[in-house]
Amino acid sequence: MIIQFLDTVWGQASNLLTAPVKWRRWVDLLVLAALAGLVLGLLFAAKQWTGVQRPVVEISLSPWALPKYLFLSLIRAGVAFALSLTFTLVVAYWAAKDPLAERILVPILDILQSIPLLSFMPLVLLAMLTLFPRSNVGLELSAVLLIVTCQAWNMAFSFYQSLKTLPPELNAIAAVNGFSWWQKLRWIELPYATPGLVWNSMVSVANSWFFLVSAEAFASPTVNFQLPGMGSYMNVATNTGNTKGQVLAIFTMLAVVILLDQVIWKPLVAWSQRFQVDETAEVEAPDSWLLRLLRRSRLWRWLETRRAQRHARPRLRNLYVRRAEAQFQHPGRKGRWIAMGALLGILLALALGALSLVRLLANVHAAQWVHLLKSGAASTGRVLLSTILATLWTVPVGLWIGLHPLWAKRLRSVVQVAASFPWSMLFLAIILALRKVGVGLGVSCVLLMMVATQWYLLFNIIAGAQAVPQELSEAMKSYGLTVWQRCRALYFPAIFPFLITGWVTATGGAWNASIVTEWVEAKPEALSTFGLGAEVVHAAGQDMALLAAASLLMAAIVVAFNRLVWGPLYKLAETRYTLNR
Amino acid sequence: MNSSQPLLELRSVQVQFPRPGHSPQRVLEDVRLDVRNEEILCIIGPGGSGKSTLLRVMAGLQAPTHGEVRQRGEELVGLNPNIAMVFQNFALIPWMTVEENVRVVLRARGIGEPEVRRRAAGAIQKVGLEGFEEAFPRELARGSKQRVGLARALAVEPEILLMDEPFSQVDALTAEALRAEIHDIWKDVETNPSAIVMVSHSIREALVMADRVAIMSGNPGTIRTVMEVPLPRPRDAKSPAFLRLVDQLHDLITSAELPDVQVTTLSPDAAADEVEPLPHCQSGHVLGLLEFLDGQGGKSDLFNVASHTQVSFERVLPIVKSAEMLDFVDTPKRMVILTPLGQRFVNAGMDERKDIWKAQLLELKLFRVVRDMVEHADGELAKEDLVHELVTRLPKEDPEHTFETLVAWARFGELFAYREDQETLAFE
Repeated sequence: MIIQFLDTVWGQASNLLTAPVKWRRWVDLLVLAALAGLVLGLLFAAKQWTGVQRPVVEISLSPWALPKYLFLSLIRAGVAFALSLTFTLVVAYWAAKDPLAERILVPILDILQSIPLLSFMPLVLLAMLTLFPRSNVGLELSAVLLIVTCQAWNMAFSFYQSLKTLPPELNAIAAVNGFSWWQKLRWIELPYATPGLVWNSMVSVANSWFFLVSAEAFASPTVNFQLPGMGSYMNVATNTGNTKGQVLAIFTMLAVVILLDQVIWKPLVAWSQRFQVDETAEVEAPDSWLLRLLRRSRLWRWLETRRAQRHARPRLRNLYVRRAEAQFQHPGRKGRWIAMGALLGILLALALGALSLVRLLANVHAAQWVHLLKSGAASTGRVLLSTILATLWTVPVGLWIGLHPLWAKRLRSVVQVAASFPWSMLFLAIILALRKVGVGLGVSCVLLMMVATQWYLLFNIIAGAQAVPQELSEAMKSYGLTVWQRCRALYFPAIFPFLITGWVTATGGAWNASIVTEWVEAKPEALSTFGLGAEVVHAAGQDMALLAAASLLMAAIVVAFNRLVWGPLYKLAETRYTLNR
Repeated sequence: MNSSQPLLELRSVQVQFPRPGHSPQRVLEDVRLDVRNEEILCIIGPGGSGKSTLLRVMAGLQAPTHGEVRQRGEELVGLNPNIAMVFQNFALIPWMTVEENVRVVLRARGIGEPEVRRRAAGAIQKVGLEGFEEAFPRELARGSKQRVGLARALAVEPEILLMDEPFSQVDALTAEALRAEIHDIWKDVETNPSAIVMVSHSIREALVMADRVAIMSGNPGTIRTVMEVPLPRPRDAKSPAFLRLVDQLHDLITSAELPDVQVTTLSPDAAADEVEPLPHCQSGHVLGLLEFLDGQGGKSDLFNVASHTQVSFERVLPIVKSAEMLDFVDTPKRMVILTPLGQRFVNAGMDERKDIWKAQLLELKLFRVVRDMVEHADGELAKEDLVHELVTRLPKEDPEHTFETLVAWARFGELFAYREDQETLAFE
C-alpha cells in the first residue's frame, strides 16, 4: 500500500524534477508551486482573521505590501464564493424538490436577486460587530456576507431552474435504472446544471469585486472601517494623493480580473461545455488555452487515470455507501419533519423581522419620509440619466462591434473584463479630479454610475447584434436599405430584448453605486450630495430607524421599477421582438 | 437597347476569403457566365462549389477579388439595383407582418406611400397570400414564408430574380406548386423579371425550370459547362426527350466530379508530397452505399443510388468518391460497381471489416503522413499541429472539415483515437 503510494506520488514528483525539461513538465511544476503558495497564504489569512479587532487598519502604501492586501481580498472573495455555492446547492435543491419550500423560497430569492444590496451594507456591518465585538472575525464576516449577498441569489436561481427544467428523457434514465437521489444528483442533475451554474458563478464573482472593494473601506460620518485589502489600499492612496500607489492598485486589480478570467473562468466554461445537452446551442465552442495545457499535463492525466481506476475497481466501501444511500432514497418522515421545521423557522424569522422592522419604522417621522422620498426621486433621476447617457453611446458602438464578427470576437472578452473590473476603486480619484475643474458631486455621481455600469449595456448589445442571422442582414442590404433604415427595421428591434436585460443590470449597478458615490470621505472633508444613497450612509450608526427606512425605500423603488417598467417591456420584447421563432 | 446583349455578365470572376493565419481560401476561380434576356438559368453543383457565392456576386453583395461583373455592358460597382433575391431560409423580419415585410423594402427605394401600398398588395396577391397580410411570419408554414419572400422580391420589380435554393426548406408538394407559379410569373412578358437565376440542388428541378443549366464543381468553384435545355414548355418529366436530357446532365456531372482517370493513384515520383483531399463523408455512409450496391447485385447507376436512397445526388457524390478512394468501388462513366475488395468487405464480419478498412486507409498517403506525425509526437498529436499540416498540404480544402472526416474514418478503422477534450490524436 505504502509502496504503491510512494510509487505513484513520489514517482511522479521525482519524474518531474529529473525528467528532461519539457513544457508540460513545467506546467506541473507551476501547479505545485501555486498549491504551495496557496497553503502559505491561507495560514497568513487565518492569522489576520483571528487577530484582535482593529476597525481601522493602517494601510502601508509600499508596493511590496500589495500582494498581501491582494491575497486578503482574494481570500474574502473565495470564502464568500464557497459559502454562496453551498447555499446554492442546498437551498435550490430544497426549493426544487419540496413544493412547500418552493412556494416560499422562490419569491424570496427573486426579490433578493433584484434589489441593490449594497444599501444593506451598513446594517450587516453593525449587526456583525455586535455579534463579534472582540476579534476581526466580525468585520471580516460582514465583508464576506456582503459579498455572499451579491453572489448567491442568481446562482441559486440558475440551479433551481436547471433542476426544474431537466429534460424528461434524463428523468426517465434515472427512474428506469433506479438511481437513488444521490446518484441522480451526481450523475444527472448536477452535470445538467453545470453550464448554467458556471456562467452564473462567473457573473456573480465579477459583480462581487465591486462589493468587495466597497466593503473593505466603509466610511460614514460616525462609523469608519478599514480592512486590509485592495479596496482600502486604493482608498488611502487616493486620499493621500499617492499616484504611484493608485496606478499600482488599479493595474494589480486589472491583472487579477484578467488572470481570473483566463485561469479560472475560461477553462471552467470550456470544461462545462461537455455537459451541454443542447448540441446546437453554441456554434463556436468556447476554448481555453489553459484547459488544453492542463489536460495535457502529466499530473492531470495521472489524476484522471487514478479516478478511472477507482471507478473500475469495485470496492467494499461502495457496498456501505450503497446501503447508506438506500436509506436516503426515501427521505421518510424524519426528513420531512426537518424540512418542515426549517421552513417554519424561516417563516418565523421573516415574521419577527417584519414585526421589528415595522416597530422600527414607526420611529420615522412623516417629515423624514418626505425627505427620503425626495432624495429617492433625486437618486432615481441620476440612475436613469446615467443609463440613458450610457445607452446613447453603447447602442451604436455595440451594434458596430457585434455586426463585425472579427471585432466582436476580439472585443467581447475586453468588454467582459471591463464589466467585471471594480470601477468603484476609481470613484474617489475621479471625484477629486472633477472637483478641481469645478464639477460638483451631484453631477459627477451620474458620471461615476455610467462609468461603472455602461459595460453591461455594451456587452448585451454586442451579444444581441451577434444574434442577428447573417442571411437577414444580407437580405436587407441586398434590397438597398440604408444603414439607418436597416437599424430601424432590423437591428434596433433585434437588440431590444438584450437591451432590456442590460438596462436591468445597469440600473441595479447604478443604485449600488449611489451608496458609494453620493457620500464620499475625501480628506480632509467629506463630500455629499442630495440623494438616497447619501441618506443611507448618513443614517448608518446614527439612526437605525432612518437607516432601515432608507434601505427599504431603495429596495422598494427598484422592485417597483422592475415590476412596472422592465417587466412589461421584457414581455413585449419576448413576444414581439424575438429572433428565435 | 441591343436585345442580344446579356443582362448581366461575369468576366473571369475570382473570389477569395481571408483565413486568419493562413493563405486565403479561393471560393470562385475564373467564373465566366452571362445572364440573358428572357431566360431561366439554373446553377447546379455539389455542396461547397460556390453556388451561393456566385449568386451573391451577381447581387453585388460580394465584390469579386479579381475580374468584373457587367450590368448591360457597364461595370457593376456595389449593390446591383436591378435584382431581387429570394433566400434559402426566407430572411423575413420576425416582428413585421407579411405586409410590412414587403413594404419595408419598397419604402427603402424612396417610393411614395400610396405606390408602396399598391405594389405590396399586388405582390402579395400575385403569390396568393391575400388574407395573410396581417399575419406574422411565425404564424405561417414554410411554404407560405417563402411566398412572402417571393412577394417581397417581386414587389421591387427586378430585372433579374435571384433565388438561392428557394425550395430546399419547403416540402416537395409545396415546392412543386411554387415552381409552377414562378414560371407563370416569369412568362408574363409585360412585367419583370426578365430573367431568373436559380441555384438548385435537384437535377429534375433544374430541367423542369431552366433554359440553360450551368454546372459547377468545387475547390475552387468554377463553371464546368453550360447545357442548353431546348424543350418546349410545359415540360413533361416523363417524356423521352426529357429523360434523355436527364441522362445527359447526369453524364456531365459525373464527368466533372468522378473523372474516369483515377484521382487517387498518383505516380510516386511526381506526387511524393501530395496527399489526397478527403471528400466530406461519414464512414457509415460508405458502408450504406456498399450494402446498397450489394443488394443491387454489385452495381448501380450513380443517379439510381440517389433516387433509391432518397439522398440528393450532391450528397451521394462524396460518398461514392470516398468508396472509390478506398478501392471499394469502380466508377466507369456513371456506373458504380463493387470491386472484389468491396465485395469482400461487405461480406465480412465487423472485425474483418475494420481490418480491411484500416489497411485501405493506410493505402492513402494522407493517413500515412498522419501516422508518421503521431509517431513523431510521442504517440500523441495535438489537433492544432495536424490542422496546421493540413492547411499547408491541402491549401484548397477546409482543414476543419478534412480533420473531421479524417477522425471519423480513422475511428472506424481503429487506426487512431481522438480525445476531444484534450484535442489530441493517438494510436488506438
